Amino acid sequence: MFGLTDQPIDSAALHAKLARADAGACVIFEGRVRNHHGGKPVTLLEYEAFDELARVEGAAIVEEAERAHPGSFVTCVHRTGALSIGEIAVWIGVASAHRHAGFLACRQVIEEIKRQLPVWKKEHHPGEEPQWVNCTVEVLPSRLSPENYYERQVSLPEVGPPGQTALSAADVLVAGLGGLGCPAALYLATSGVGKLTLVDVGKVEVSNLHRQVLFTADDIGAFKVAVGAARLRQHNPLVQVEGLPADVTAANVAALVTGRTAVLDCTDNFATRFLLHDACRMAGVPLISAAVYRFEGELNLFSPATPGCLHCLWSGQDAAALEAANNCSGEPVFAPTVGLMGIMQAAETLKLLLGLTPAANFKQTRLVNLLDGSTCAIERNADPACVVCGPDAVQSASAPHGVDISSVMLTAEEVIARAPLRTVALLEDGEILDAGKAPAAAIGIPVKDLAHLRALARERPTLLACRYGIRSAALARLLRREGIDQVYSLIGGLAAIHPRDSRIAADRGFRRHEILSTHEKNARDPSRNL
Amino acid sequence: MGEPRKIQVRFFAVLREQAGVSALDWETEARTATDLYGELKAKRGLTFPAGLLRVSINERYATMDTPLQAGDRVVFIPPVAGG
Ligand SMILES: [Zn+2]
Repeated sequence: MFGLTDQPIDSAALHAKLARADAGACVIFEGRVRNHHGGKPVTLLEYEAFDELARVEGAAIVEEAERAHPGSFVTCVHRTGALSIGEIAVWIGVASAHRHAGFLACRQVIEEIKRQLPVWKKEHHPGEEPQWVNCTVEVLPSRLSPENYYERQVSLPEVGPPGQTALSAADVLVAGLGGLGCPAALYLATSGVGKLTLVDVGKVEVSNLHRQVLFTADDIGAFKVAVGAARLRQHNPLVQVEGLPADVTAANVAALVTGRTAVLDCTDNFATRFLLHDACRMAGVPLISAAVYRFEGELNLFSPATPGCLHCLWSGQDAAALEAANNCSGEPVFAPTVGLMGIMQAAETLKLLLGLTPAANFKQTRLVNLLDGSTCAIERNADPACVVCGPDAVQSASAPHGVDISSVMLTAEEVIARAPLRTVALLEDGEILDAGKAPAAAIGIPVKDLAHLRALARERPTLLACRYGIRSAALARLLRREGIDQVYSLIGGLAAIHPRDSRIAADRGFRRHEILSTHEKNARDPSRNL
Repeated sequence: MGEPRKIQVRFFAVLREQAGVSALDWETEARTATDLYGELKAKRGLTFPAGLLRVSINERYATMDTPLQAGDRVVFIPPVAGG
């Protein structure tokens, strides 16, 4: 609730509004008129508001704080008119389940009021002309203005005023606010990326603190995006930061990435990486992706226009390696590796927004090894048969593009509910259909036999299933774009139906450095079987 | 500059004092809010630097390069000081 009033604020009456059985914390902030400012005595403050806009903005500030800090309920009233010493100018009360969210929400509301609410105050000093606060000639040069904040960056010839304008016009999504996302988001915010959205469902845990540099020991238990957004706003109040406490899923990924200037993949699992990658390619948004294994890091820039995508990168790999890399929780992490790679993601994003990216960078995987100090850039393979970026996919680019991912992806339960669907198991090169791992009626078709798959999907409603649900999703979307309506992909793939398969994969103990060295080998070996 | 049209302008705080009025019906050919502020500066004696202003059009924050339409309600927002 937000209100404006020209009457004295009744603190006790407002306090009563915070009583809630589910609130374990109540945080109250009162902004009061004090008798001095800047070393001068003050006798009176006159507050003036642009009433209509102040009510709209005030309500938006309160709603935003409640959304960013789930379980918090905010009451806020701002005073207008002439106020004498000791009177309350603004009252903010937050009832919340836990104290951390309450303090953060309260802080966010007052800082946003000071930044956004169209309210002005005139200070009266004894024996002097009254002055509008923040509007006098003396305070203007020291104000937190873009001119002052970005002074040392705008003076780079590669940036300049047009570059800074491009940064402030940008709208960037940071998916995952962990070891990569924290430094990446911090540098994007301080560099002046105009709108940042952070998405992560996690809460701050003790074991995060050694590498996730936006969080402190006081933040344990709070939503990462709520703490992170608040901290970024403190670092740079000139940019807009929004935190979404959510997972990236097949149902929301298109909405999350569409319309962004760039997306950073700072997540730690393969399913999300592929979701973000495919959604970005479909929405025409560049993706800046990083991954780490202990002392080694890997950086990829994916442009929607350049062949050589994440599917190409992983085609021909043992799918078990994907599965092994799928579970990074509990993996040992050397903090500077994620710090460095996150900052590299920020640097690549800024370069992209400033038009400084060499075209070759969109085709490379860059590898960094902090243990031996080596770095190298390898050209990524572009698989000519790739269903996402290959010639077939390029041809279909003229077809309607915005395929709703949620309507393509089905869970095993939804498949049963939707029967009868014909199930097609997608086979890798040299693989034969293992009757024990697929539904009885499934037919096996090589994943590269696109003509056959297309003909089958045209005949009747078809469910595509591969081992982990990644290639099938890409194929299903490709066929949808070609106008074949009744084609679906099984979420989680055949492994979701037969968990034994994925457990075996994990037991094989595939490790990230083996995957990285496979990249290198493939890049150097021209005879690699595509 | 385009066809002349009527814009409603309101002033608050330091700008209200400089303009000497709280509201004006302003006939203008100004294309954007920036153009309009330049015109008001020249004709109404406003001295506040344009670079430090924000603008609200029809009770929503907007950018200074937003094209103006006939009947728009425009408010220039000097640095705020709530709280
Ligand atoms: Zn590809």
